[in-house]
Amino acid sequence: MSTALEQIEQEIAKLSSKAVKKNTGNIRTVADGVAKIDGLSDVMYNEMVQFPGGAIGIALNLEEDEVGCVVLGDISQLKEGDEVTTTGKLLSVPVGRELLGRTVDALGKPVDGKGPIESKETYPVEKIAPGIIVRKSVSQPLFTGIMAIDSMIPIGRGQRELIIGDRGTGKTTITIDTIINQAKINKVGLASGDKAFRPVYSIYVAVGQKQSNIVRTISALEAAGALEFTIIVAAPAADNPANQYLAPYSGAAMGEWFMENGMDALIVYDDLSKHAVAYRQISLILKRPSGREAYPGDVFYLHSRLLERAARLDGKGSLTALPIIETLAGDVSAYIPTNVISITDGQIFLETDLFNQGIRPAVSVGLSVSRVGSAAQIKATKQVGGKLKGELAQFRELAAFAQFGSDLDAKTKAQLDRGGRIVELFKQPAFAPLPIELQVAVLFAMQNGFFESVDIKKTVDAATSLKTFFTTRKDALLAEVRTKAALDKDLEAKLKAACDEWKPTFTA
Amino acid sequence: MASHAKVAQQLARHLFKMSVVDGAVSADRVGGVLEYLEKNSPRNPVMVLKAYQRLVAAEVAKGVALVEHAGAINDAMLASIAAAMTAKYCRPVTAAAKENPALLAGIRVHVGDDVYESSVEGQLAALASAV
Repeated sequence: MSTALEQIEQEIAKLSSKAVKKNTGNIRTVADGVAKIDGLSDVMYNEMVQFPGGAIGIALNLEEDEVGCVVLGDISQLKEGDEVTTTGKLLSVPVGRELLGRTVDALGKPVDGKGPIESKETYPVEKIAPGIIVRKSVSQPLFTGIMAIDSMIPIGRGQRELIIGDRGTGKTTITIDTIINQAKINKVGLASGDKAFRPVYSIYVAVGQKQSNIVRTISALEAAGALEFTIIVAAPAADNPANQYLAPYSGAAMGEWFMENGMDALIVYDDLSKHAVAYRQISLILKRPSGREAYPGDVFYLHSRLLERAARLDGKGSLTALPIIETLAGDVSAYIPTNVISITDGQIFLETDLFNQGIRPAVSVGLSVSRVGSAAQIKATKQVGGKLKGELAQFRELAAFAQFGSDLDAKTKAQLDRGGRIVELFKQPAFAPLPIELQVAVLFAMQNGFFESVDIKKTVDAATSLKTFFTTRKDALLAEVRTKAALDKDLEAKLKAACDEWKPTFTA
Repeated sequence: MASHAKVAQQLARHLFKMSVVDGAVSADRVGGVLEYLEKNSPRNPVMVLKAYQRLVAAEVAKGVALVEHAGAINDAMLASIAAAMTAKYCRPVTAAAKENPALLAGIRVHVGDDVYESSVEGQLAALASAV
């Protein structure tokens, strides 16, 4: 027996004295978050490297006799000659439900002061997007709670829908509304005990934003009770460009965990214009050749490999992406906007003019499109809102012509009148997403002429009154619309009766 | 400035390639290169020489196993390390000893960029980073 113990002890002694091999290098220069390193001959592309003082870096440029690394963390302590070692690992971030309700940085470390995150798993930040075989077509809806979007530019689970527009046109608001709506749907669905219900978890990635804006977003989500279903990944403007470059990939890794584990997730990248700028900064410091607008040649791949990670997987879950792009003076033909437009499955274009006219959300119906979402739209919305996009387009055309002449025939006047009402009906305050059943009810009332006798300017008031009427007095009917998700003759009759009941209660 | 550095780097790399014979840096060739540079001074001689020095130093380091040790180390151990490294890297590697009391116990061997850590200090550092 003692011999056996001695053998084990010898084995332990052998193991504990075993030499550990490391590959090292020395810092040659450090500037603007990028370190040039001599040595590191065994380093791999995208490998994590360890700097003295706990800072880590990622090897991005492997050259003949030097390695270019972006440093994640404090570079003020680094100096020329410091030793850097390879780790043999790709950069990974913590993933899982433990992150819900938390705000983390690009490396998944908590920044909200709520203590450590007890996550059991980690996922690599950079991952190849799911292939063709494992994917499934988009067929399940993801309701934003915004009537103009859900009825005309519907989004499905696993879709990538770009939100594009100038500064201050309400791009972030649309995504926050969508996150809040998911939380509302989750609460109703989970409370119902329906086993087939699939909640949608949200990830909001803030890239290059002001800290105050991030705080405001968190407060809005908290106030709406949506934070418990949301992960915030923050790489504010004060963060170094490397963190801003990595944050969307970290968020995608967190979202992939939900997707891979049979759940649905929504990820918002706010915004990819600033992400491209951060990457341009890194690339220029790494002395990579610059191309159009000084962006490096792989700026398309930067976004395509990120957005391709959003998918609906066969037998698993889905990851829906809502990237945001900020345009300058409405120019959608600039480099980054055209790149992202071509990668995504559609775009929601927000116009400054509409915003200033008080049409909010300022969705431009003509320029907005959803390429795959209509397959995910529920039948009830199709029944009541199927023709809306065409009607609105016709209205815009007629409105442009009507400016030049005063003598209009009755049909044109009616069309203009109806278009004006639809525009008014789609106005919606921020952070107040509408449940899909209520959207169906309002659109049904509009399609059946219940707003025709109302003055156009009073349409918003009438719609508000109708919504209040339905939520307070027709709860059962709304639940029926929600569960059936299609309007049969019986349901149509009930909706009509309810609208008839509401009509006398509204006095303009 | 950046292009000057690039040109100097390229020239240094070219000179370095000329200094290598049978996979090892030749002292004669290095002497020849230095003589040539003295006679035909390039545009940025300091920049070129520094880059050249770095390349030669990195190559020379690949042929030397620098053994840092805290306690005593004998010639037999150095010879065995040199033999092991020669076999591992498939090129002649000589061993040189360097005392480093900060290791507390054990040894640390440097061969080029590679470091073989078998010291108490290294194990404590690994433990500290794992905790």
